[in-house]
Amino acid sequence: MYLNRRQVLWVGGGIGAAALLAACGDSDEASSKSPAKESEKPRRGGTLRVGALGRASAITRDPHGTQANESDYLIISLVHDTLTVPGTKPNTLPRLAASWKASDDLKTWTFTLAEGAKFHDGTPVTAEDVVWSLKRLRSTPAGASRLPGIKPENIKAEGDGAVVLVSDYANAELPLLLRLTTFVLKKDTAEKDLGKAPGTGPFKLDWFRSGNARLVRNEDWYGGDVYLDAIEVKIFESPQAMANALLAGQIDVASNVGAVAARTAEKRGDVQIVRRPNDMAMPIVMRTTDGPFADPKVREALRLAVDREAMVKQVLSGYGTVANDILGTGDPAYAKDIPQRTRDLAKAKSLLKEAGFDLSKTYKLLTTEDIPGLAEAATLFTSQVREAGVKVEVVKQESATFWEKTWLKGDLYTTYWGTNDSVAFFASKTMVSDSGQNEAGWKNPEFDAAYKKAMATKDAAERAKVLHELQQIEYDESGYLLWGMADGIDLAGAAVRDLPTLPGYGRVQLETAWLAR
Amino acid sequence: MAGSLTEAVRRGPAGGSEPRPAPAVVRLLLRVAGVVARRALLLAVLLAFVFAAVELLPGDAATATSERGESAADLAERRHLLGLDRPVQTRFWEWMTGLPTGDLGTSARGESVAGLLDRPFPNTLLLGGLALLVTLVASVALGCWAAVRPGGRTDRAVSASATGVLALPEFVVAVALVLVFALWTDWLPAVTLTDADGSPASWEMLVLPVLALAIPQIGWNVRIVRAALADEAKAPHIETAVLDGLPRHRIFTHHLLPGALPTIAAGLATSTGMLLGGAVVVETIFNYPGIGSVLAGAVTDRDSPLIAGVVAVTGAVITGVLLLADLVRAWASGGRS
Repeated sequence: MYLNRRQVLWVGGGIGAAALLAACGDSDEASSKSPAKESEKPRRGGTLRVGALGRASAITRDPHGTQANESDYLIISLVHDTLTVPGTKPNTLPRLAASWKASDDLKTWTFTLAEGAKFHDGTPVTAEDVVWSLKRLRSTPAGASRLPGIKPENIKAEGDGAVVLVSDYANAELPLLLRLTTFVLKKDTAEKDLGKAPGTGPFKLDWFRSGNARLVRNEDWYGGDVYLDAIEVKIFESPQAMANALLAGQIDVASNVGAVAARTAEKRGDVQIVRRPNDMAMPIVMRTTDGPFADPKVREALRLAVDREAMVKQVLSGYGTVANDILGTGDPAYAKDIPQRTRDLAKAKSLLKEAGFDLSKTYKLLTTEDIPGLAEAATLFTSQVREAGVKVEVVKQESATFWEKTWLKGDLYTTYWGTNDSVAFFASKTMVSDSGQNEAGWKNPEFDAAYKKAMATKDAAERAKVLHELQQIEYDESGYLLWGMADGIDLAGAAVRDLPTLPGYGRVQLETAWLAR
Repeated sequence: MAGSLTEAVRRGPAGGSEPRPAPAVVRLLLRVAGVVARRALLLAVLLAFVFAAVELLPGDAATATSERGESAADLAERRHLLGLDRPVQTRFWEWMTGLPTGDLGTSARGESVAGLLDRPFPNTLLLGGLALLVTLVASVALGCWAAVRPGGRTDRAVSASATGVLALPEFVVAVALVLVFALWTDWLPAVTLTDADGSPASWEMLVLPVLALAIPQIGWNVRIVRAALADEAKAPHIETAVLDGLPRHRIFTHHLLPGALPTIAAGLATSTGMLLGGAVVVETIFNYPGIGSVLAGAVTDRDSPLIAGVVAVTGAVITGVLLLADLVRAWASGGRS
């Protein structure tokens, strides 16, 4: 479940809504958990009331459906487990699959199921259940992109405790791709029972009604201690109302509530602001195949004309970090040593001159208001590049029109991505020549070769080296201008401890949270 | 719209086209049935318009519910699953034929529309109904109070503040109420949370949303009540009553108010539509679990069955209220002649 476009309209004021696929944080400086006091020992008990965004019209109970609602996804992922989950370092951690190993050609992957994993009704999880669930997922319209390269007939059980997936091509990142959608249900669960089907997760469903739910602790969970007695999920249509509910003490956590709410809460001593770095990328796409930005010098000039610090400060209210035109900033393999691009108007101007760029024309930057900050970023960008002599005007398009007419086709437009913990993910989705979502129409044989090599390299250290090469090419020549990364922001009451700080859908991992009251 | 039944009721007896008038009750029932039939037809046309309008919007339910990276073939499959590969007339007809049995179809995400509306709709009715009640009581009370001494200090104060609040959009009122009564004073809950049965968890949660909806409507209706009473006060029969020396309160309750009733009823009936419209905004601000948010999201998703479901149930309610108001007017004006 990566980017879901239209579904984000409802968020209006505050978040990256439906757009996020989890990912994992580059949390070198940030602690991996919310501001818990070091000396405190987790306490058992209590009910955590969590607000999450969602629209009543988009409610879905199907774990393998398109979950546009963060509230639905939160409920599903607390009740059901996926094979793997997002982590910090490494970015993929075991869950229902306790371990995995690949064949030498990185095509055949064997996942061993966790010892003692049981459904909420007490029946043990078998490989057959997993195979059935993965096949069901694969048969949905989104199946081919959720289990890329895996044909339904190549999903097989190996005895009772292992599942084998055979990929059409070498894919070192397969375990990462299984993190967020591979929910496991009992074999042959009927369509009408999806909503109340027993899961294997840390919480059991007590009740669900119109998008709200109460979940109670699964005492038998194989994954470790769960401290909370219960979690109540409350659906909120607007981040504003969710922030109000938190400030008024009606909920304990406002999940993914956004920078605007954080600014309001800064003055309040009794509210914690949880920042989850590398949550959302909002790059500007410059078309590389043809049009005014096809010359790499022009793209380089624009990358030098943008004032990244100012963008982060003004567009993200400071809740974010400066980026370096390489996507996948949360990846442990992210190339931190490539020099940070900074503003250099003189060089930008000379590059434009060399390239013979037509400065008399006014260029259009197409954008939407799908997520907060996107259109604002576009506007600030135009005033910044104006200083390098480039005239750009912002054209806001209605979401549906943008995705139909501009995306993948336009010369200059904004996009956004919520999966930011994998360099290879972006390479495969948006930058390899024949990728389905090649946003800038970029075709670079060297890059393609580096990607292929990385995916077929079994040794992790060796692969990291190849990925570094790949990032250097991306930095030099791709069609992306990535000025910064927005933080994901949750608000929490004073007593809440150990909330996840992973970006994207990593925020749903509430099984370690507890209440100090 | 509010006038049409009254017209029909008035024209009926006056026209005298029927040679032998049927008993009054039968005539009334027939006329009511006629009006209901016409309104139902109007609603059907409106629903057809909804389906057509969604067709004209860019994108469709398949693209709206898809994920980035789905191929054209995946989208085509999605379209097929949702039945979008069939012509819009067919889909509309299928949806309409399910309507009499209470089947409102399936949403773009595969949930039953009736199921998606079964809690939100009663919740919105509760919110709108309470707001209408508050509007009725407050505007009649304030309007009467102002009309007792036309041009007096009370009249000027009430009329001026009524004009002031009727110009306020609901969201301004709502935001101000939350700020003052929830966040600053902590007297009332800031948002509505629901319990296991899907209705608001406590009555206190209803106070602010009801006020936010009612306040602008009170402003509007106070003006109407005040004006209707002033007009009525100039009528000759009131003058006669005054000259006859009847007690003031009796003139008020037995002559003045009944005379102004048709206008007041019409004003309130108009407010019904405004209340349901305003509910969309107010529900969002208070996170009230009503159909407002369902509708807004359904439009974003190009979810025709869901939009049509919301329009059908709301349309039915508005039709019902208008009919009631018309009957009140017909009865009140009939009683006078």
